[in-house]
Amino acid sequence: MSEEVIKGKVLKHDTQTRTMHWLHLLAFIILGLTGIGFYWDIAGIANIFGGPANASLVHRWAGVVFTVGPILYILLNFDRFSRFVDTITSFSRDDFAWLKTMGGYVPFIKIEEVPPQEKYNAGQKILGILIIIGCILIIITGFPMWLWCDVVSSAFLAICYNVHFWTAIIMILLVLGHFFLAAIHPKSRVEFASMMLDGYIDAEITAEHNAKWFAELQKTE
Amino acid sequence: MSIFTEKVGMTRRQFLKGSGMLAVAVIVTGVFAKIGFDAFAASDEYIDQRIAGLYTLDEQMAIRKSHENPEIIQIYQDFLSPGEQKYLSEKAHHLLHTKYGKDIPAFIEELNQHRDVA
Repeated sequence: MSEEVIKGKVLKHDTQTRTMHWLHLLAFIILGLTGIGFYWDIAGIANIFGGPANASLVHRWAGVVFTVGPILYILLNFDRFSRFVDTITSFSRDDFAWLKTMGGYVPFIKIEEVPPQEKYNAGQKILGILIIIGCILIIITGFPMWLWCDVVSSAFLAICYNVHFWTAIIMILLVLGHFFLAAIHPKSRVEFASMMLDGYIDAEITAEHNAKWFAELQKTE
Repeated sequence: MSIFTEKVGMTRRQFLKGSGMLAVAVIVTGVFAKIGFDAFAASDEYIDQRIAGLYTLDEQMAIRKSHENPEIIQIYQDFLSPGEQKYLSEKAHHLLHTKYGKDIPAFIEELNQHRDVA
């Protein structure tokens, strides 16, 4: 392996992406918290938001933010969105090789070298696809429960409630896993500051974790 | 210090994938929205028909006002306010006014006390 030290910084996430991520994260936390409070009837959670009626109101309007935020981002940054979608839906042999080794994150899978990855590794790609599908499902089942609960059939409403609940549970687990890998795991926690603060990450880390993408960045320099 | 940034813009492949993803999201949302709007319209139509039905039934009634009902007039003349049509007579008040509560024996007792009030 080359011992060359790569100096510099990589702008991994620009301001608009970070703003959208923050907005979506805050909305998601409020929605998850109030939703858990409703489902298991936990008075303590409802009381944080001023009682069940207010918690319900907060849940619905946080849902509006959760919906409008990404829509605005996509419409104003269609090129960034398209690049993101292209990256997360393109799987090469290196991605499958990465998945076989779990990127070196799992302690009992010993590997010599992690296959080179693009801007997002194979795990992040799968997460990205699941989050998009999850968001669509949770949005399209949430609004009928709010706006059309008096007019749609009870069977349709029951489907909405079930899909909404199970999608939310899966999303919460995915986000917890995402948070662990991006903010706590010693191998990858450098990602946290990149998305949550200034958007920059050391070029040396990028060259190691996202070798294919970094090679492209070097070409454009 | 070198700063590495992504190339702006998008390739044709990226554009098609982005548009495709957006189109799928719009179609799925559109199908759900159609179900909701159709159900809303059907509900509105049902309410309109129900209103029309109730008005029609009302218009077809021979007696449309309770105080013009001969049977009501007679029950006041003969029993609730003998010899006259006193609609808020004390007896009518005690017999026809609905009270709510748990103490049923007390209500019965109160009714019995006013049995002979004219």
